[in-house]
Amino acid sequence: MVFNSLTFAAFFALVLVVHNLPLPWTWRKVNLLLASYLFYSAWNPPFVILLWISTVVDWYAAQGLVKARRESARHAWMLLSVIANLGMLGYFKYGTFLLDNFAALLHAAGIAYQPVPSDIVLPVGISFYTFATLSYTLDVYLRRALPAENFLDYALFVTFFPHLVAGPIMRPTELVPQFEQPRRASADQLRFGLALMTLGLFNKVVLADSFLAPVAEHVYDAQAIPGALDAWAATLAFSGQIFCDFAGYSTTAIGAALCLGFAMPDNFRFPYAAVGFSDFWRRWHITLSSWLRDYLYIPLGGNRHGPHRTYFALMGTMLLGGLWHGANWTFVVWGGLHGAYLAAERVLRSRFGHYRPGPLTLLALGLLTWVLVNVTWVFFRAKTFDKAWIVLRGMAGTNVDTKPILESFYLISVAVIVGGILLAHWFMRARTLEGVVARAHPAAISAVWALLAFAIVAAQGSGAAFIYFQF
Amino acid sequence: MDMRRHDVSPEDQVRYLRRGDYARVTAADRPGVAQPVPERDVPAQPWGRIMLGAAILFALLLGTWEWHWRAFDVRPAYRNDSGLWAIQRRRIDAGEGNATVVIGSSRSFFDLQLDVWQKLDGERPIQLAFEGTTPLPFLEDLAADPNFTGRLIVGVAPQLFFSGFGFHKDAIAFYHKESPSQRVGQCLSMHLIEPFWAFDDDDYALATVLQRQPWWPERPGKPNSLHVRRLSESGPDRATHLWSKVADDPQYQALARSIWSQHLKPSPDDPPPDKVAKTRDEQIDRVVKAVATLRARGVKVLFVRPPSAGPYLASDDREFPRAQAWDVLLAKTGAPGIYFSDYPELSGFDPPEWSHLKLADARKFTAALHAIVVRDFWKPDPPK
Repeated sequence: MVFNSLTFAAFFALVLVVHNLPLPWTWRKVNLLLASYLFYSAWNPPFVILLWISTVVDWYAAQGLVKARRESARHAWMLLSVIANLGMLGYFKYGTFLLDNFAALLHAAGIAYQPVPSDIVLPVGISFYTFATLSYTLDVYLRRALPAENFLDYALFVTFFPHLVAGPIMRPTELVPQFEQPRRASADQLRFGLALMTLGLFNKVVLADSFLAPVAEHVYDAQAIPGALDAWAATLAFSGQIFCDFAGYSTTAIGAALCLGFAMPDNFRFPYAAVGFSDFWRRWHITLSSWLRDYLYIPLGGNRHGPHRTYFALMGTMLLGGLWHGANWTFVVWGGLHGAYLAAERVLRSRFGHYRPGPLTLLALGLLTWVLVNVTWVFFRAKTFDKAWIVLRGMAGTNVDTKPILESFYLISVAVIVGGILLAHWFMRARTLEGVVARAHPAAISAVWALLAFAIVAAQGSGAAFIYFQF
Repeated sequence: MDMRRHDVSPEDQVRYLRRGDYARVTAADRPGVAQPVPERDVPAQPWGRIMLGAAILFALLLGTWEWHWRAFDVRPAYRNDSGLWAIQRRRIDAGEGNATVVIGSSRSFFDLQLDVWQKLDGERPIQLAFEGTTPLPFLEDLAADPNFTGRLIVGVAPQLFFSGFGFHKDAIAFYHKESPSQRVGQCLSMHLIEPFWAFDDDDYALATVLQRQPWWPERPGKPNSLHVRRLSESGPDRATHLWSKVADDPQYQALARSIWSQHLKPSPDDPPPDKVAKTRDEQIDRVVKAVATLRARGVKVLFVRPPSAGPYLASDDREFPRAQAWDVLLAKTGAPGIYFSDYPELSGFDPPEWSHLKLADARKFTAALHAIVVRDFWKPDPPK
């Protein structure tokens, strides 16, 4: 079920009530585990089996890793986990993509091959929970952590509904210890958790779905050729939409966990205030970028084996990171562009590492980063390369015979909302939400909270799925 | 459990923070180590009072919003969305496959009154028509469903039927893929929200309301268009009628007419005639196939062209002349049809906004239609 639904509201209220009953801690954990399975199976009940497979395989793989005496046995257990998880991910997420590309390759070689049309349904959140369970065995394999002692705690780590389908991608060391001792939110944690959920849902339902998504759809999903204004407006709208959608999900998830007495990590640190691309990736989808860094970039060599190997590891990580987002070459190009940006930044830093920009230059570099990030969003949003080129040509002002697509309401909405997001990110650049809230007047917090809640209800969201569910 | 949490020294963490102006340490600042349990601080504030204040203000705002729409003559009604449609569609799978089913566009949806039909026929039809949408995909969906063996009324609104336009085509995919979560949400909404709150309607969604305000400047080359406003009220089984405001409020009626008028005049953006004709013929060919499948299964199919008037009728006739569309449809499918102007009892109505009948007229229309259907097409079985 999605957070922005009546079903979730009823579900969450029930879970909260049972979690706060005077029951033994084990029973309350069982309540959370069963609720999490219910949360997942509410989409498509059979897919809960995949979740069980992933859970059980990694539990036994980690046990085997600890008991193994020989290094080869440790490798074998680690490989079992990697193959089982990536195999599942590969089949469900990339099966059709691989088959289509194989057919295209054969066709290019002059061999006629028509694959049988497949009807593989992508299980929601599979990319997220496979990464979470993989981090469990990989942390044990890399001797960063010991396996969990209690299967219930471990299964709850994999399945805990706030992070299950779209992150933040939790590491076992972040969550398993929290299940060892009884937890119940304090009254203030519950209230602040609800406030965070309101903020997250406002981002999703009001800003992303109601105001920004239609603008991007009018240009990206239509046949009309956009001019510069329409192409830029749609791309900026998407940049705002994807941030509000995904950061909104993360904030709601963090709030839901806090209402239950658990802490989840930040997934975003006001990324549109980033100066440079390494800064951007330390602010955007932090739990994914740090996962890729720890389990892909560093094992590929990281920056320990000279510049060539570093650039190889960087590009490899970003290309695979792009592919993680979707089984389409447009996502690979998106990742490749970010890889190229990071590589270019690395070159510049090596030459001008001593340079310290002043405030205006910093702002200019931040805006440049933001503009270049927006260029990458074109490949993320466009369903085909043809569409991406059309929009990019529009942004460059080289499309001819264009007619205006977006009415002034849409242009003004984008300017106000995306401009507001940019200003807010710059203001919050070196701050935390908690720090700002702590200094605000209580009446102002009440007013903002009520307005956000009212806007959510008045916006009447359609219960649209979060963008990242598809990944 | 021995989770190694502090592989990065506090000094290193501070260094990472300084490098990026970050206010809080995250996994981004701790490369290659086991990540520790996160810490989430709650800002020191009187949260009890804050929450109470927020709840009171929220209730005031919501109450004002609801009052505003009720003052605009809006009454609570059921949301005519894919979830509500899917409930009716599932009746065919749940033992009502031999029922009378209505598909079509808004005219069949608003003009055919289920309670009148039920009173005369003894059976309440399943209403599967959708506004702004050709019934063709729904016809094909029913043709592919062996559970359906009943009688089928297919409403024909020429500009939708023969153009293939479908505002609600997604309803079929939704019905086939509806998740348990969506079903529960639909049920909760129908019992806790929709019968009580007038503002809960797509037409009064925040972005929609803002967009239709007159203060937005016109962009050169892209005038602000008027989008279709609320026209109907639906019940829990999709029994639907034209909203009384459209008939009784001259200002709202004029607005509804002006919205239709945007699309009723020939425009340079219209597709060329040969493309329109090609699309029309493709639609008819698909209908022929679906109807053949249905009739082979014993389903009685009846096409109905409900009334339109004024500029809308003129536009219907200009875009899809009867001889080139309706007559061809009947000839190719071999199915019978009722064209409103062929029957005096179905003619002479005065649709308030040229396209749909007001409730009283819709009731008369339904009674007259039922009489014709029983008399000329679906004669009841003689008593044994």
